[in-house]
Amino acid sequence: MRIENGFGPIDIAVSGLRAQNKQMEVISSNIANARTTDAGKGEPYRRLEAVLKTQKDDISGVEVQKISQDTSDFSKILDPGNPEADENGYVQMPNVSLPVEMMNMSLATRTYQANAAVLRRYQQLVDTTLELLR
Amino acid sequence: MSKTGIVELLEAGLKAEALRQRAVANNVANLQTPGYRRLDVKFEELLANAMESGEEIDTDELGPELYQPKNTAVNPNGNDVNLENEVGQLVKNSFRHKAFIRILSKKYSQIDQAINLNR
Repeated sequence: MRIENGFGPIDIAVSGLRAQNKQMEVISSNIANARTTDAGKGEPYRRLEAVLKTQKDDISGVEVQKISQDTSDFSKILDPGNPEADENGYVQMPNVSLPVEMMNMSLATRTYQANAAVLRRYQQLVDTTLELLR
Repeated sequence: MSKTGIVELLEAGLKAEALRQRAVANNVANLQTPGYRRLDVKFEELLANAMESGEEIDTDELGPELYQPKNTAVNPNGNDVNLENEVGQLVKNSFRHKAFIRILSKKYSQIDQAINLNR
């Protein structure tokens, strides 16, 4: 006998909450390392991005497939006093742009809230049905 | 005496929900405990298997079982508890609990009606 848990929307909303939670983690890593010039390997910090994927083909939740690196170019700033500066006085800085991160953060927050709203609404919906049992 | 009446089955279900509630509380309490693996409750599968076997179900023997899922994603500190997940479990649990309690109270009010039929 197959067990269908019957509360699908809850699992889906929870998967959304989890994915956005991870997204937030990635964004905070990007912001915290916005001026990290040394991330090992002689390179500054490379911006990370969470890649989201559906859990299955049908109606489904979402999951973080992987955390991939943003391969765009690093920015260079002139700062001759910096110990990391090259012979021309330029320092390689991470490819993180704070305005973009702030925008992504707003998006992640709103999406998280939307998923929480779905969860709450569904809860009210089932409660309506359960009221009929009184 | 047969142990598979509605009241007995609901009682078994409520026991499973109570245990699941404790498991969730335990998981949330250990949200930051390094190496902690979340607890889950197995009951519906056991009930389905028992029903499928065709034999009479003894709800005293068919209890909920605690187990630790091994296929969950683990944090760097060896902990696999996720707050959102636990909240989802909690919501689902409260639905089941409410449904069981209401059906049980329906059943009792039926019995009550039968008893007070001649009043």
